[in-house]
Amino acid sequence: MADVKLSNIKKSYGNTPVLHGIDLDIKHGEFVVLVGASGCGKSTLLRLIAGLEDISSGELCIGEQQVNSLPPAQRGIAMVFQSYALYPHMTVFKNMSYGLKIAGKGKDFIDAKVREAARILHIDHLLERLPRELSGGQRQRVAIGRAIVRDPNVFLFDEPLSNLDAALRVKTRVEIGKLHQELGATIIYVTHDQVEAMTLGDKIVVMNQGRVEQCGTPLELYQHPATRFVGGFIGSPKMNFIDGKVAAIGSDHIEIQLSNGCRSRACVEAGDLKVGDSVTLGVRPEHIEERSDAGTLLSGDVSLVERLGEASFIYMTLGDGTEMVVRGSGESTVTTCERIEVSFAPHNAHVFDSNDRALRRLKPGNVHSTAQLAQLKAVGQETL
Amino acid sequence: MSQPSSIQRRFPWHILFFLAPGLLIYVTFSVYPLLDTLWLGLFQEDATGQRFFAGISNYQTLLLDAAWSEPFWNALWNNTKFFIIHMLVQNPIGLFLAALLSSPRLRLSNTYRTLIFMPTMLSVVIIGFVWQLLLSPIWGISEGFLYSIGLGQYFDAWLGKESSSLITLALISVWQFVGIPMMLIYAAMLSIPDDLIDASVVDGSNAWQTFWNIKLPLILPTIGMVSILTFVANFNAFELVYAVKGALAGPNFSSDIMGTLFYRTFFGFQLQSGSITMGAAVATLMFLIILVGVMLYLFVVQRRMKRFQL
Amino acid sequence: MISLPGLKHNTGKTLMTHAVLLTYTVIALFPILVIIVNAFKSRKAIFKDPLALPTLDSFSLEGFEQVLGRADFGLYFGNSMIVTLVSLFFVLLLGAMAAWALTEYKFRGNLFLAVLIAMGIMIPIRLGTVSILNLMASLDLVNTLTALVLVYIAQGLPLAVFILSEFIRQVPKELKEAARCDNVSEYKIFFTIILPLIRPAMATVAVFTMIPIWNDLWFPLILAPGESTQTITLGVQQFIGQYVTDWNAVLSSLTLAIVPVLVLYVIFSRQLIRGLTSGAVK
Ligand SMILES: Nc1ncnc2c1ncn2[C@@H]1O[C@H](COP(=O)(O)OP(=O)(O)OP(=O)(O)O)[C@@H](O)[C@H]1O
Ligand SMILES: [Mg+2]
Repeated sequence: MADVKLSNIKKSYGNTPVLHGIDLDIKHGEFVVLVGASGCGKSTLLRLIAGLEDISSGELCIGEQQVNSLPPAQRGIAMVFQSYALYPHMTVFKNMSYGLKIAGKGKDFIDAKVREAARILHIDHLLERLPRELSGGQRQRVAIGRAIVRDPNVFLFDEPLSNLDAALRVKTRVEIGKLHQELGATIIYVTHDQVEAMTLGDKIVVMNQGRVEQCGTPLELYQHPATRFVGGFIGSPKMNFIDGKVAAIGSDHIEIQLSNGCRSRACVEAGDLKVGDSVTLGVRPEHIEERSDAGTLLSGDVSLVERLGEASFIYMTLGDGTEMVVRGSGESTVTTCERIEVSFAPHNAHVFDSNDRALRRLKPGNVHSTAQLAQLKAVGQETL
Repeated sequence: MSQPSSIQRRFPWHILFFLAPGLLIYVTFSVYPLLDTLWLGLFQEDATGQRFFAGISNYQTLLLDAAWSEPFWNALWNNTKFFIIHMLVQNPIGLFLAALLSSPRLRLSNTYRTLIFMPTMLSVVIIGFVWQLLLSPIWGISEGFLYSIGLGQYFDAWLGKESSSLITLALISVWQFVGIPMMLIYAAMLSIPDDLIDASVVDGSNAWQTFWNIKLPLILPTIGMVSILTFVANFNAFELVYAVKGALAGPNFSSDIMGTLFYRTFFGFQLQSGSITMGAAVATLMFLIILVGVMLYLFVVQRRMKRFQL
Repeated sequence: MISLPGLKHNTGKTLMTHAVLLTYTVIALFPILVIIVNAFKSRKAIFKDPLALPTLDSFSLEGFEQVLGRADFGLYFGNSMIVTLVSLFFVLLLGAMAAWALTEYKFRGNLFLAVLIAMGIMIPIRLGTVSILNLMASLDLVNTLTALVLVYIAQGLPLAVFILSEFIRQVPKELKEAARCDNVSEYKIFFTIILPLIRPAMATVAVFTMIPIWNDLWFPLILAPGESTQTITLGVQQFIGQYVTDWNAVLSSLTLAIVPVLVLYVIFSRQLIRGLTSGAVK
């Protein structure tokens, strides 16, 4: 069993704090994806777990053991680097067997291990080649193979697919998913790619400026983003945000006076909100419909239409200059410069208070959720 | 390359303009003298200074006539020892210092580098004199120093003894030039991606294993290049011995190397008068030695040590 | 602190690293410092306690007075300056021009010339000394600084062409092609586009060219040993040969030769080391 437990982990480089107290609980066998903007500390966190950097303060446990001061090789982890980091002067076989050799394992054992891993990854025929004689995808497999042979409890991946071309990325993504099921090991996976995060992760951790912004299943994050940052980060195209003020508070909804003059209803719990407080309304492009009777009505000028075939992304500007994206149908006839009206249902609205924290949604779109997620994935693949 | 054809059909004056001045000087003062030297080595002069073609007789004298061949083989052997000492001392120390300097997040790394490289900047002649003074029994500074660390009884006038003068000179040269292998190897080590080192740490290797299994193989080409640079510099050395021991490379020619032998042969010394043609013959042999070394490097060593794309 | 054991381990290693590097730094600098320090002491103090710093009592400039009285170090220094700077200028200019011609234009004999020049990197020009002296004698250039400059240009060109070619190859093709489309002459392209672009490489070349010239003893000794054309290296060598037993004079003359170089080195060390460790020199 190798649960990974991070308690209040902090890291500073000199006087610059990079991570400000990370708490995470990762169960054995879980596939955890770390996402977040560039520079928010994802790689740093991964390197702390790997033992490549010293932890400034806090406690890191893998399994039952506190591993803060253990060297990487004794933590039961293996890491796959973005650059693959294959030893350029060693053959594939030697690359994969290097760790075992250092550990003093017998020749037969090493041979068996490497061949098995090579078989799983379909690189048996490449074992005698040097890394520079391999394609990008093959190098990627060797890098994963090098991790597998060590039989780690925890795999750490740092953007492993970002150097591959789009088609190969999709293929390898699927394979990593399968591999996870096959090996049953814990995986911590850093990525920039929405679709990778949504499809691979049992759990997604959204990081922002050295803090965990939210942690949950892909659906939780999609349906109940805890902060405006998460709302904007998960989903593609991005969630639309419209500024407004609370106009009225009902028992199962609040009413918001939007900056473009419209009044909107949103099914959220008011909490401590008072009438007149500033809020931000968030609504996903796929929840806005090209008709005027779904709920809140918005009108604006179309500035651009992107046609993807099964859907069209309609970019429009509201009266007050707020930019919005609407996911319309593939057959949509809207054209640039046209003035259109769109609307969205109150239960599809997200509301964030002036501290950017989300208000609890009362009627989440559970009914449609599975279908919506599938749709989201489809969009993601399309945009790849 | 991609010029309009109208320009190409005319005589390419611009190429001549760019190439001619540099080439003229290079050919006149480097290529021609070298070829002329090889040619001159085949001549002899009679008493009146008249030159005549003598075939390989200069070389026969140089390699077979005891009066000439003894100093020649002596100088060649000394030069070889000089080179071996550099390879065994200078390059390992340079490698070691480079490895230390490239430790991750080492403070003051730049300062160390700058200071350790400092002696390399100074003239060999100056360095020769500096050490001559420091090792002089008259001044006694080294002796005093050795006594202070309890090794006083080992002090000797190293530069003055037949058995130790060459080794001492070689070590002085090592002391001065250790900065060059250090710098070049350091640069090569910096170009090894950090990820590669991290990967080997995750694979469980300690600092030593990482150095031996990952870094060293990747900087081997640089070490090869450092070796050939050392070889050429060593077989071309002259100043240090000349400054410290004079053209006679004493005591009793024990510190004689090819450079000093060449100088004496050309300009003469004591009773023997200088000979242009014999000098040319010695230079030709030096040329051949260096050529063989360079060829060996280019066609054997460099072929084996493929540069790994990092 | 939970991670203390790990930290301690690292601290120990770092300390060791610093200790070793510091020791070697001392080894590298101490001999030079001893010479400089003792140059400022009286003869008695030099021998009594060589490692002591000069005190009010032992401070003396007698060595410098003798040196400056007996030998014209100013002249030697000036000679070295002239030879080094003039050679450097021509090596950079002619080297860049040749590198440009060899990398940019295809013509018959291009490869041959490139190889011919590359040979000069490895084969020391010194081996042709016999003929160089003959040649200089017949050109009536013996005992002139011109002779030294000519030889040093020939000596420095191969490496300069090699390094600069690497850089010129990296200049984007579009730049040249755009200029050619505007009917800019080849001369103008070189002098106004290429030369400014390869300035960083020039700095590297300058370092590699300058040091061997400044420090050379061989050619000054053979081609220009006359009193009025001695370079600083030769001057110091001759001077010390003459006054071996005059410790004050010897120490002072060495100091005079060392200090300017060290001052320049400290000022330019950053660029110099960057040049040395840059990828251009493989
Ligand atoms: N060795 C270091 N010294 C100082 N600061 C560092 C160091 N390594 C990383 N940082 C800083 O820590 C922050 C987090 O870096 P990190 O590499 O973890 O980001 P990331 O989330 O992986 O970004 P990306 O998605 O671009 O890979 C950055 O602001 C970076 O500048
Ligand atoms: Mg990263």
